[in-house]
Amino acid sequence: MTAAHSPIRCLLGMLGTDVHTKGIRTLAQLLRDAGVEVIYLGEHNTVEGMVSALIAEDADIVGVSFSSAAYVHYLAQLTTLMKQKGVGGIPLMVGGLVHAEDHEQLRQMGIQGIFGPGSQLQDIIAYIQRATGKKLG
Amino acid sequence: MAAAIVAGDCREAARLITRIENNELGDPELLQELREARTTAPVIGVTGAPGCGKSTLVDQMVATWRAAGKCVAVLAVDPSSPFTGGAILGDRVRLQRHASDPHVFIRSMSSRGTLGGLAQTTSSVIAVLAAMPWDLIIVETVGVGQNEIDIVRHAGTVVLVETPASGDAVQSFKSGIMEIADIFVINKADQEGADRRVQFILEALKNSALNPHRLPVVLKTEALSGVGVPELIAAIEAHVDYSMAHPKIRKLL
Repeated sequence: MTAAHSPIRCLLGMLGTDVHTKGIRTLAQLLRDAGVEVIYLGEHNTVEGMVSALIAEDADIVGVSFSSAAYVHYLAQLTTLMKQKGVGGIPLMVGGLVHAEDHEQLRQMGIQGIFGPGSQLQDIIAYIQRATGKKLG
Repeated sequence: MAAAIVAGDCREAARLITRIENNELGDPELLQELREARTTAPVIGVTGAPGCGKSTLVDQMVATWRAAGKCVAVLAVDPSSPFTGGAILGDRVRLQRHASDPHVFIRSMSSRGTLGGLAQTTSSVIAVLAAMPWDLIIVETVGVGQNEIDIVRHAGTVVLVETPASGDAVQSFKSGIMEIADIFVINKADQEGADRRVQFILEALKNSALNPHRLPVVLKTEALSGVGVPELIAAIEAHVDYSMAHPKIRKLL
């Protein structure tokens, strides 16, 4: 029997009509390079589809990227449905053009990982390890 | 837990699959129990080179079977990094329209260093899916080359996806992957050379002593538009019926 090994599985995707994938693709590759198994959903996902994927993939963490101001609306839907479906405890991080004045509202939704412009990879990786309770490398 | 999975509990199944992948399955009897609960759902393997259109074809297959009222599980394997062990599991991008369909279960899987086109634990994961109430199980391999043929040990029907650019007559009669297909698909058949590629494969098949019972089928598809997909579905279903009636046609070393 091979030794037990539990890599971090991270679901990454975008919601709605946002098509600016540069950021999330860059992050997907950087996380792969850090040893993460990235389940890459691409853009145009629905909230329902993303939550179903989260359940089927049994991911440790979810990351959603936005380049439009619709993130408060979508993240409210996403966190609500995650709770309804019993996966509200899975950490959710958001990245992209997230404005400082919205951070408090996002935190109230239970989102602790908020990575706006200028975020550093090491901070994202530190957050992922802390939030999942798993170590990389 | 076995009872919940046999009844179709996707969440329990998803968690068990993680434990299997991680070699954290404490209870070997559980897997045995699931193997004994195996349904008659056929396992369809879809393999071929990177970028040939496997996931897009799988998307069309799922759509067709869903329209016929069938419930489908998809296990999609993508490669792990030889440097970090990380992975980009991207097959869901092509399967997105099925994500919120409760009658479709999609699980992405990293090969975790295994080189045959699947992961070491894929067969156990198939056992979990095969104990659930799915009508069909599709296993999509890593993008493969000539020698990555593990799928033939785990799928009753193997679909090999190629493109018109997959090579000449010499490539067509080599050993390895060209020998394991039950159905050859020349995808992207709107591109130049599709008919020639079909002829190369047909020629190679005619001269092989491997298939005295049943020659593999060779088809053309355009996965993006769906051209050729009904014929592919018909060929898969015909092969599934045939292999159920002739269970011991395949003998591997």
